[in-house]
Amino acid sequence: MNRRDLLAFSASALALSFSSAIAKAAVPVPFDWAMTPPTDDRQKFIDWMIANRGEDAKYLGQRFDRYQVMLRNKDLWDKRTESGFLLTPREEFVLKPNLSRVYESAFLDINFGVTISGPHLVGRMTSTINVQQGEKVLEIGTGSGYQSAFLSHLTDKVYTIEIIKPLAERTRGIYDALIAKGYSELKNINTKNADGYYGWADAGPFDKIIITAGIDHIPPDLLQQLKPGGIMVIPVGPPGAQHVLKVNKVQAADGSFNITRSDIYNGKIVPFVPFTKLEGDKIVGNHNG
Amino acid sequence: MGTQVPSQARLASAARIVPLYLAVGLIAGAVIALQISIMRVFAVGSWAHFGSLVVSLAMLGFSLASVVIFLFKGWFEQHWRGSATVALLLFGPLTVASNLIAQMVPFNAIFLISDPVQKWRLFANFLLYLLPFLSGAFFLGIIFLRNREGFGRVYFADLTGSGLAGFVVLLAMYLFSPENLIAVPLLLWGAGGILWFVADRNRNNATAIAVLAAICIAAYHFLPAMLGTPDIAVSQYKGVSYARNFPDAQRIYRNISPFGDLQVYSSSYMHFAPGLSDNAAFTLPELPPNIYVGMYLDGDGPDGIMRELPANEAAYFRFLPMYYPYVLKAHPKTFVVQFGGGISTMTALHGGSDSVTVAESNPAVLQAFRDPSLRDVTANILNDPKVHVVDYDGRLFLSHTPERFDIVDLSLADSVGLSNPGGFAISEKYSYTQEAMLSYMRALADGGILSVTLWNKEEPPKSILKLYSTIGAAAKEFDPGNAANSVFVVSTYLSTTTVLFKKGGFTAAELTKLRDYTRSMSYDEIYSPGLPFDTTQTQSILDQYHGSIFGDATADAANPGIGTAAASAPTATGSPTGADPTAADPTGPDAGAADPTGPSADPTGPSAGQSPPDTASVVPATTLGRLAWHYLMNGGWDDIAQQYVFDTRPLTNDRPYFAAYVKTGDLGKTLDRLDVFQDDWGYLLLWATLGIACITAASLILLPMIFGWRVVFSRSRGKFGTIVYFACLGLGYIMVEVGLISRFTLALSNPTVSASVLIAGMLVFSGLGSLVSGKILDSARALLPMVFVGIAVLLLGYGMFLGPVLDWIGAYPYALRLLFCFALIAPPAFLMGFPMSTAMTWLARLDKDHLFVWAWGINGCFSVIGAAAVPIIATSFGLAAVLETSSAAYLLAIPAFFAVVMPARAVTKSVPA
Repeated sequence: MNRRDLLAFSASALALSFSSAIAKAAVPVPFDWAMTPPTDDRQKFIDWMIANRGEDAKYLGQRFDRYQVMLRNKDLWDKRTESGFLLTPREEFVLKPNLSRVYESAFLDINFGVTISGPHLVGRMTSTINVQQGEKVLEIGTGSGYQSAFLSHLTDKVYTIEIIKPLAERTRGIYDALIAKGYSELKNINTKNADGYYGWADAGPFDKIIITAGIDHIPPDLLQQLKPGGIMVIPVGPPGAQHVLKVNKVQAADGSFNITRSDIYNGKIVPFVPFTKLEGDKIVGNHNG
Repeated sequence: MGTQVPSQARLASAARIVPLYLAVGLIAGAVIALQISIMRVFAVGSWAHFGSLVVSLAMLGFSLASVVIFLFKGWFEQHWRGSATVALLLFGPLTVASNLIAQMVPFNAIFLISDPVQKWRLFANFLLYLLPFLSGAFFLGIIFLRNREGFGRVYFADLTGSGLAGFVVLLAMYLFSPENLIAVPLLLWGAGGILWFVADRNRNNATAIAVLAAICIAAYHFLPAMLGTPDIAVSQYKGVSYARNFPDAQRIYRNISPFGDLQVYSSSYMHFAPGLSDNAAFTLPELPPNIYVGMYLDGDGPDGIMRELPANEAAYFRFLPMYYPYVLKAHPKTFVVQFGGGISTMTALHGGSDSVTVAESNPAVLQAFRDPSLRDVTANILNDPKVHVVDYDGRLFLSHTPERFDIVDLSLADSVGLSNPGGFAISEKYSYTQEAMLSYMRALADGGILSVTLWNKEEPPKSILKLYSTIGAAAKEFDPGNAANSVFVVSTYLSTTTVLFKKGGFTAAELTKLRDYTRSMSYDEIYSPGLPFDTTQTQSILDQYHGSIFGDATADAANPGIGTAAASAPTATGSPTGADPTAADPTGPDAGAADPTGPSADPTGPSAGQSPPDTASVVPATTLGRLAWHYLMNGGWDDIAQQYVFDTRPLTNDRPYFAAYVKTGDLGKTLDRLDVFQDDWGYLLLWATLGIACITAASLILLPMIFGWRVVFSRSRGKFGTIVYFACLGLGYIMVEVGLISRFTLALSNPTVSASVLIAGMLVFSGLGSLVSGKILDSARALLPMVFVGIAVLLLGYGMFLGPVLDWIGAYPYALRLLFCFALIAPPAFLMGFPMSTAMTWLARLDKDHLFVWAWGINGCFSVIGAAAVPIIATSFGLAAVLETSSAAYLLAIPAFFAVVMPARAVTKSVPA
């Protein structure tokens, strides 16, 4: 068995280990754009989600707790993004050994030298690009698939490219299994195993682009495939301490384009807030243990 | 006949003694060879930082062994042969087993802070690798105990064997790849074992260990494949692992040497354009596809290597930040300080240089570029008639050459670490020091330009501020009256920064050209002569950056009211789809109208009325850069640096580190927010190691007390002084060794070579010292203090003058440099060999047998502490401070020595251990 076969084999094995985490019951109520889980009470949220999505109460509780911390950290900026976070079952996108830490703030290993970003970073990036229903969003670096799954609750046109073949296949497998179970919103995601450097010209141009792959410059093709007025976000720096770069493509009156780089806080220096650990509604330290 | 008997006895004795000493030397050599081999395993499998901890691990092995021997001294004396044999036989199998199992439980460095399991895996790795060191230490400890009367000679064999083995491993790295290198300590161990049994006249055992060694080496080579375990479990987060994941990746070159494991991969998925202007997307017709290969050193990288571009695609180079000096200079004579992957050199050629002199201190890189198999992908650039190669450090070349250059380029050399998930390594960056910058400036022809480009990927800015303060200080030293007119700085947010220094200052026309180019590339102008800066925002921006890291933001997080306020702003959900939705989005992160701790509420913060007109479109990091250069050029920088949240002191030859940006006084405050310091974990890990080393040392000192030995111990005179004495020696010796490894990189340009030369030189010369020390045993009370004073004076002198001397040495051919370095090491190392063996022999003479064993352990403990303390002292106070601390430790040993030679009371011997 050569190395690539071994990788593919490992990927299938891992996909199986993922899918085994997917609950057997079908999703009771299919997704629609008006779907908004309650956010005023933990138990109400859990009950609503069990009734509508058929998910595990344990993870739902953890998801709600993390949601509250994210609100405090101002990682979710509007109701649609909040709902997107609350409706995305993050536990389906992590490796089994990390399930116990799925809603912690930390980024987690998903093999192949790739991580699933912490919920705070995903929330912040998704909030920054402020996706409107019907907008085209391109993600470079599908990875775990969680980011695109989140986006699929905000628009019906999500495109995502993964360079590592076994990872792309694994994540596609997870999407397919979840779709089969009733997560129809994941049909909004178009996946491709390719070099994301060149974007997805056939599907472009895009209103928003998220790049999560490491690169020493912004790929020109992606800037070209970004619509005028579009936004691109790129996390820069080591995992866990990443700063989000926001890139705007502006068209001048003479038709020429200008690219501006900024941070996502519009020039404000935002204090770092230790990602607190919640138990119930009490803060019990942080995750540096 | 009467004279023949003693002569035969002497011969017989020599026949036993010589193999014994050789055996000790070889086993000690095997231990040091194993240290270096494991360091290589860590460097290739994860990150080199962990390798440096291996030194501590070996020392810990010696300490632990000595405590156990000490506790059960009677038993060990009685069963010395059996226990030494067992310890000896175990070394090989334990080495093979530990290494194999360690590859089965790899840890992932980047999750060390966030994932508790990784800490345990790291711990398991250290525990596993401790085992062979422990068995080696047991063997040597027992031999020392057995031969304590002739300690000086055994110690000589131990040190010399270790030192020479350091050199042997260095040479072996040409033959053995990192995944095979452990065969070297196994071979040394096998040879040492055979000799030991020969000395013991036990042919059966000699044969047995030869067979065992063969089995171990075979197992080391074949077991991983048989068990499906990698030879070295390479982290998936290493640069080379990503390359291997590309579907069409192909390794097209590999070269192993002491200068690293150099591999080149080709793949159409590789794209390099460090710092490429965003405008390239609209003004460059097409980026050249599929022209790169990636070069990896010890799995780190890649450094992009580029094929030659067709003429119609050569405009590409104009969009790279290293192109700046070529905007002003036509047909320049150019010097590239570090060749790396060759992109700077290509830019120089495409920038119109008449000649390009390139320096590369890593011979493996030059060899790769000259290799026929890579000629196609390297554009055969080194054979370009315009290119001249300097095969050593560009910094050293420029500081000695009478040649003058129109352009000196230092672009993104060595800075791949800044974008590496492994974070900062505590490594010396001598190419970026103030002294180096001055050398570059002095090598400029009239009107010549120094161009330095560095990654700018940190927020808050760290490395670039160190670079700014370094070049600022050098510029003012070089041309005090005109520095402010000689600098032009640009940056791209979260990409790169480029600093230009022009000898004699920029003309107005040149500044116009540079500004036009800057605008055309959409770079941000950070400093230029006359660029205004609004100082009213200084305090606010410094306070905000400090607050962003160490502010009491938890109060905000803990206040549910604020969260609710932000969360319950549903009325503002609709946001415009214009160019910048969040700008007009009141629910954005700064919706913190409700946030009393937010910057907008900061009474000292900028308000719209105070801000200059362009502030709204400028990110704080850019403003900070402008602020830095304003104060660097106009005075007042020291005060600003003091207030800035991170350490921004210039890099100097004494403190050549980008890493370790947390100010020492702030370390305690990092504990509840380690997340934000993940890129400096190499430094934080050192503090953790120091803490653990101190706790371990304290435990090992206290352990004997717990086992009730206090009774015996209390009857031994001078015990406290003896502890202090050996603690000082342990601390002092290792600090000189580790400190000088960093320092000698100045002349030797390569940390691996420097480490090997220092280990070999220090140990061999100290071994000689220990051998000679036998001659002063009787007059030690009078002479040893003089030796200590000699060591202290030499170390202080080295602290002060070594930098310039090593710079001078650096200009000579490599073989001569090695010779000079050995000559420099010899005097202190020779003297440093005296104190240990003299004191140990005196302890044996005075029948302080327990102290004899224990002293060995104390020495080991404090070596662990010293090894961990060196980088901390070096990054905080400089490398000279390391030698000064060491010098102080040797002076402190003078009064302590008199406690060592204090006679023990007669009753001590009669009490059983």
